[in-house]
Amino acid sequence: MSTRTDSLSRAGALVRYNAILRLRDPSQLISYLITPMIFMVLFQPLYVKALGTGAVEAVTGQLVMFSVFAMAIVGNAIFVEREWRTWDRLRASRAARAELLIGKAVPVFVVLLIQQGVLIIYGWLVVGMPFPVSPGLVFGAMCLWGFMLLAMGAALSTVVRSRGDLIVAVDLGAITISSLGGSLLPVSLMPSWAQAIAPFSPGYWGLSLIRSAMAGNAEAMLRPGLIVLGIGLATGAFATYRLAHGWGRSHLL
Amino acid sequence: MLQAIDLRKRYDEVQALDGFSLEVAAGEIVGLVGHNGAGKTTFVEMVSGLLRPDSGTVLVDGESPTRARDRIGISPQHIALYRPLTVREHLELYGRLAGLRRAALRSAIDDLTAALRLESFLNRTCGLLSGGQQRRAQAATALVHRPALLLLDEPTAGADPETRQALLDVVKQRAGEGAAVVYTTHYLTELTDLQATIAVAAEGRVIARGGADELLSGLPGEVRVRTADEQLTVSTTDPTGTLLELLPTVERPVESVELRNPSLDDLYHSLAVTTDVDAH
Repeated sequence: MSTRTDSLSRAGALVRYNAILRLRDPSQLISYLITPMIFMVLFQPLYVKALGTGAVEAVTGQLVMFSVFAMAIVGNAIFVEREWRTWDRLRASRAARAELLIGKAVPVFVVLLIQQGVLIIYGWLVVGMPFPVSPGLVFGAMCLWGFMLLAMGAALSTVVRSRGDLIVAVDLGAITISSLGGSLLPVSLMPSWAQAIAPFSPGYWGLSLIRSAMAGNAEAMLRPGLIVLGIGLATGAFATYRLAHGWGRSHLL
Repeated sequence: MLQAIDLRKRYDEVQALDGFSLEVAAGEIVGLVGHNGAGKTTFVEMVSGLLRPDSGTVLVDGESPTRARDRIGISPQHIALYRPLTVREHLELYGRLAGLRRAALRSAIDDLTAALRLESFLNRTCGLLSGGQQRRAQAATALVHRPALLLLDEPTAGADPETRQALLDVVKQRAGEGAAVVYTTHYLTELTDLQATIAVAAEGRVIARGGADELLSGLPGEVRVRTADEQLTVSTTDPTGTLLELLPTVERPVESVELRNPSLDDLYHSLAVTTDVDAH
């Protein structure tokens, strides 16, 4: 068997067993699907009164907020490797670092895409959001936003000390990032000081990216897309370094 | 198969390894003993490629541990299993990572299932297993690809007698087939069962190495002679000769005689005491 086939086979095995782990613990995903579905329906009339429009804002706002909450799924997927001491066991196997990272990242990335995809379809079918002008652009935006969440969640999981810390960090982070970014209340209706700091929130750019994609405006996607990608690459590089070096005593390498 | 030469490793203020050297030949079982903090686990992590030494050399089959990972099987000191995965799924995962496919993988799992008596819990998730069953499952993940070097770090800690015996049997079998084995333990009788050579670690290096008889020579055993109203206990390096000298001097009728030759426990304690004295 060639080296490349060997490598693909190992990465495939890791993806498969990490996917099984995710499937056997679906409670978080279910929660992050059902709660925004309820909120979308409740928030829509508020948006209609405030802005004259409603469905797109209600759907994308809740999508961004609860996809940020879903960083907890990413964080948990990685944190259990620390808790169960399995990461070093895998590092001692024949699998290369890149294979281990792919095996860990692909299933949670797919989970993030499924969450966003289901919420968009729900928004279209139930909340009355217009069908996206270009589904390809929406898929691209979902991938970029999902990549950033994956990278941020992974980075977070490598610095927290306990599962409790992880939950608190994700909850606080999600509320701050998404509300400052305009997920709960449109930025134009926020106090002036909040409007001034909104662009410092990744949620602001995520929302802008997804709403531009919904409108089929590729040009408007460029700036938020690059910023989201940049945040993802920076936090992803940090997470990759931490994961590749393991925890425990081996982090002192 | 394994050559570790003058390994040194410092964690902040702690010198975990301080000139640690050990060689293990194919087919040899080396029992690595020593009290907590002696450097055993750091050494095992270094040989498995998880840690780099500050200085010194580790070669597995003539290559660095990172390059030789396909020939190494490790069972870490702590349980490292995915609680939602079954034992079978663990064996499939680690077998696949080691390059086993289809029939070869099935055959390896079947062999290990029989050897380690995993049948009754092979399809149960690891979170539901007892401590002994988890120990056996973990050892199986190290053995599934028939590695040329086995690193077993306290594999029977907290295990029941059935688990211990099953594991010892498999380790002996694998060594008989040519695998080199590093076996760290605090249960010294296991090393006698395994007919292992012994390396004693203290303060980050190997301070004694050899066969059990060789290391035990010179250590005192005991002679106990009990009469109706007293018990004589004499510590001696020659229990039989001492008994023969002692018996004619006993005036009362002898009720019982007990000879205890030096054991690995005596070796362990004597080295521990020596280290403590040195430390003070």
